[in-house]
Amino acid sequence: MNKIRFIAGKELRHILRDPRSLFVAILLPIIMTLLYGYAVTLDIKEIKLAVCDYDCSRESRDLVARFYHSGYFVKAGATDDLLDPESVLESGKANLVLTIPPGFAVALKTWRPCDLGLMIDGADANLAAAASNYSNAILQSFLKEYLPPGTELPGVTLSQQVLYNPDLKSSHFFVPGLIAIILMMISALLTSITIAREKETGTMEQLLTAPVTPRQIIIGKVLPYVGLALLDGLLVLLFAVFHFGVPFTGSFMLLLFFGVIYVVAALSLGVLISTLVSTQQVAIMAALTVTVLPSVMLSGFIFEIRNMPVVLQYISYLVPARYFLLIIRGVMLKGSGIGVLWIEAVFLVGLAVAMLTIAAKRFKLKLE
Amino acid sequence: MFRMVLALVRKEFYQVRRDPVMLRIIFLMPIIQLLLLGYAINTDVKNIRTAVYDYDRSDLSREFMRSLGAGGYFVTRPSDIPLLAGERGFRENRQDVMLVIPPGFSRDLKERQSVTAGFLVDGTNASSAAVAMGYANLISAEFNRELYRLSLPVTLRQKVLYNPEAESVYFMVPAIVAILLTMVTVMLMSMAIVREREIGTLEQLLVTPITKPALLLGKAIPFSLIGLVEFSIALVFGVIWFGIPFAGSWTLLYLLAFIFLFTTLGVGIFISTITKTQQQAMFFAWFFSIFAILTSGFFIPIQNMPQSIQYLTYLNPVRYFLTVIRGIMMKGVGLEALYPNIIAMIVFSVGIFTFAWLRFAKRTK
Repeated sequence: MNKIRFIAGKELRHILRDPRSLFVAILLPIIMTLLYGYAVTLDIKEIKLAVCDYDCSRESRDLVARFYHSGYFVKAGATDDLLDPESVLESGKANLVLTIPPGFAVALKTWRPCDLGLMIDGADANLAAAASNYSNAILQSFLKEYLPPGTELPGVTLSQQVLYNPDLKSSHFFVPGLIAIILMMISALLTSITIAREKETGTMEQLLTAPVTPRQIIIGKVLPYVGLALLDGLLVLLFAVFHFGVPFTGSFMLLLFFGVIYVVAALSLGVLISTLVSTQQVAIMAALTVTVLPSVMLSGFIFEIRNMPVVLQYISYLVPARYFLLIIRGVMLKGSGIGVLWIEAVFLVGLAVAMLTIAAKRFKLKLE
Repeated sequence: MFRMVLALVRKEFYQVRRDPVMLRIIFLMPIIQLLLLGYAINTDVKNIRTAVYDYDRSDLSREFMRSLGAGGYFVTRPSDIPLLAGERGFRENRQDVMLVIPPGFSRDLKERQSVTAGFLVDGTNASSAAVAMGYANLISAEFNRELYRLSLPVTLRQKVLYNPEAESVYFMVPAIVAILLTMVTVMLMSMAIVREREIGTLEQLLVTPITKPALLLGKAIPFSLIGLVEFSIALVFGVIWFGIPFAGSWTLLYLLAFIFLFTTLGVGIFISTITKTQQQAMFFAWFFSIFAILTSGFFIPIQNMPQSIQYLTYLNPVRYFLTVIRGIMMKGVGLEALYPNIIAMIVFSVGIFTFAWLRFAKRTK
């Protein structure tokens, strides 16, 4: 136990002696939180719309006004050659061009068919889909008011209600997820690099000739990073709750408990990588490819797992972030307890134990 | 000078070749990233799990459910949780939407009255919740129209340009290629120089007759080449595997990638001058990459960001390269449409590289 403390103390001194790295280790999560909280919204706002109104009637102006007042569309910048919608899109001045043909008002009054033209820049698939959805919805509500007198539309209407996040704030989705990503980043990247460093600078041999077992070395080296990772996680959590107003409805102790298990899984992954490589450069490339990238892409952090190809869905079962993400979102936003989250918990613990065992085994083999 | 650089380049390549893990990672990383990103990135909102409480159990209510599920957006299934405890389904993450069809649904519809059905959405993922509500409204409007044979006079005739199938992959792959080039060159370059300092060989190099420009070139050339190889692997793989149409000029793209390399190498050199260990260098390189990726418009369109952050993105060199590479690959545009971005890229390249060079020269005096 004492020996572990010495190694942990040495590693801690390494960290503290280097204020710049420490500064980045603490600043990076905050910057990421701010960027994700503010910049990363997948909601589409402010689509640049150019209108080419050949009808110039009261009705056509009303329709155009509805587009601009919907809050989704803004007027495109100077677009002089509306006769050629394609060149307008190509210049990037507008994302979509709406063309209202002559005779629009007449068709509306006599309830006769008439086609509006909508040309969308498909370069950004999300934006194109949203633009198309919003346009259709605006047209629907517009038409409802221009129904011939005496008719009304019967049928189904939906009474819609949003649970857990009534204001539909993206930050409530991203910021808790970010904690999972940051814990993984700090734990896996830093541990893989710190062990590789001892090898690269040749101090690993020195450590091994000292009267400590490989297991003590690993535990000692890893412990300070557990602390650092949890500190970062806590920092982002505070930011999430107090700055972004993300609700915290569940139990903090439960989250902390799972946080520790998750960090252990991440650290084991880092240790495992470090046993396979000999330089820090390779360690970082490998850690990026196997830990950070899958944690961001395959965990459901941004992209829904169920919309992925089946192969990727199976691979995602091996990504610890997947389970921690469900746990942290459940605990924070929905107030879920262990009764609901036990499946994720079992998987997470299983993964952590498996990785720890493999890492410990590999580490011993490598050194003998 | 030339011989010195050549010797250094050769030394660097020996080092890479001696390390089989490194080699494998260099070739596998772009492919893994591309596969992951190409397939995982899918912001289409589909397969929304809908738990249905059908208290009407009529042909019409089933018809409504069928049309809801028809487009692949919603997957409906009857709920096995009692309505009053239905929220549990959200907490257990088994459903995204709860649809409640009231008794008397078909009776009211047949009498041409309006009926309200309950539609509860899990708002955890704000954007897909919004999209789900939008789809549901459109689908129920369509359902009403079919039911009463209403024909609305005005229809939208839509045409999506450049990317008719609006496939996310076409939009993402060019971006991944750009990001890969950025991350690999910044990280490798900064770590390679710091490595010499950390293990003490930088002093040795500096006392040899190798001049500083030769030293920097000797480091920069191998990593530019590695970066360009990764860039090409990703590009070719993207075009062949994902069938991305390549509309523009390859020559122009490579020329611009070459210009862009000076920016990332410059950033790498700069990082190496402010750090002492590879760990620090990695940290700063990572810091730069995160900032550069998030504010480049990679998967979040810049126009969706708040105004202040939009201004910030002008300081991000990757932003311009991303615009350029998407423009060339997807729209096939040339110099005449891209010149403002290209000028910005050149300014950043020259500025950053010169600055980094001066700092490096000062630091190693």
